[in-house]
Amino acid sequence: MALNFDIRRSEYVTNPVLRYIGYGVIALLLSVVHVVFLRFMQVSSVTPDLLLIFTVFIAIYEGQFTGMIAGFLCGLLFDAISTDVLGTNALAKTMAGFAAGYFYRENQGMQVVGSFNFLLIIALSGFIHNMIYSFFFIKPMQVSFWIFFLQYGLAATLYTTVTALFLMLFVNRRRD
Amino acid sequence: MRGLIDFVVRYRNYITLSTLVVMSFSLMSIGNLSDLGGFRAVIVGSIGWIQSAFAWIPNPVALKSENTALRELNLQLAVEVARSRQAIVENETLRKLMKLPQYTDHRLITADIVGKTTTEQRNYATIDKGKADGIREGMSCINDAGLVGIVIGVSDHYAVLELLINRDTRVSAKVLRTRVDGVIQWEGENILVLKNVPRSLDVRKYDAIVTSAYSAKYPANIVIGRVTAIEDEPNSLFHRIVVQPSVNFATLEQLYVVDARPDPERINLERKIDETSRTRVTQ
Repeated sequence: MALNFDIRRSEYVTNPVLRYIGYGVIALLLSVVHVVFLRFMQVSSVTPDLLLIFTVFIAIYEGQFTGMIAGFLCGLLFDAISTDVLGTNALAKTMAGFAAGYFYRENQGMQVVGSFNFLLIIALSGFIHNMIYSFFFIKPMQVSFWIFFLQYGLAATLYTTVTALFLMLFVNRRRD
Repeated sequence: MRGLIDFVVRYRNYITLSTLVVMSFSLMSIGNLSDLGGFRAVIVGSIGWIQSAFAWIPNPVALKSENTALRELNLQLAVEVARSRQAIVENETLRKLMKLPQYTDHRLITADIVGKTTTEQRNYATIDKGKADGIREGMSCINDAGLVGIVIGVSDHYAVLELLINRDTRVSAKVLRTRVDGVIQWEGENILVLKNVPRSLDVRKYDAIVTSAYSAKYPANIVIGRVTAIEDEPNSLFHRIVVQPSVNFATLEQLYVVDARPDPERINLERKIDETSRTRVTQ
């Protein structure tokens, strides 16, 4: 049984089609988690962005090109479930995936994800993501960009980074 | 062609980024998700279904904040209820007061009580009407329940009343049912006593007591109160009749001043006769 599982796991890792289907399923699951369970983690109306963490993960594991596409699709999904203006999160997450893609090292994806560098990449991507998102979010409102960004953007970045710590520790332990 | 393919392959990340950015802006230009009609309905419906499926899971943080919000709301509602109750009571009082002028021949001047003094067994009230409003000393005050008191001092815009529950109160009164006469006096707290009623005369519990036409100070037939007890004191020829004032002085807020003063001719005549009688007795 354990052998079968290993075979399936390795097949999943080596077969890109299965892998991408897996990414799609995970993205959908994360969306459900976002809609249903993230309210339990809400701190002053700030929640961690699980789809951003997933985008950065893909960018580090698959590369900049796939990271951007994943970011765009995850962003579209996020826009849809958050009933936001369609394209806002798509743009922000595309840029985040693009930025995270610079840290792609071939065949070293899991090592990066399992290290503290992953948190720095998440923080950087989150910062870019929330800058772009805040810019478009406050456009129809009479709110100062910097006040909004400092109040919510940075808080969301920090919260997302802290949440990514669990993924980092999980991957780190599995790798050991 | 080969050069173009090489260019695309070489700069595919930037080309992809540009394409995705353009696509994002295009989507943004479509506008809000609400403009997408059926698509929005599907998304919102799906999210709603998922959320309702997991709605049974309690959220302690949300419950706490909801609890706080409900407490605040409860407090606001309690204040609203108190206000509306007060408004109902005030409305009822004012309605009764509005009806009162129908039952009297005199002009009535409405007034609000702006102060009450209850010191040294002398109960006074200050009203917000004075000389400028036609109030004069000696005018009696009533409300929908009955006799309140008499004006004993007036300034331009205020007047002071001696309430019925005052140690100086002396009111000529009668039992409405049997026309038996007596004098009302205050005996502390909320108790009036009808005095000078012989034991042989018919007075029963719950009889209404009204002002008598013999009174030089108060208009006749104004309700004073109801008999609550009849006591026969030993070695006395008179009843001690306890009367409960019909006016609730503790909650008194509005009243009417009756624009009728004692007839000076009558007062002078009575005073003159009284002096003559005294002189005769002395001689």
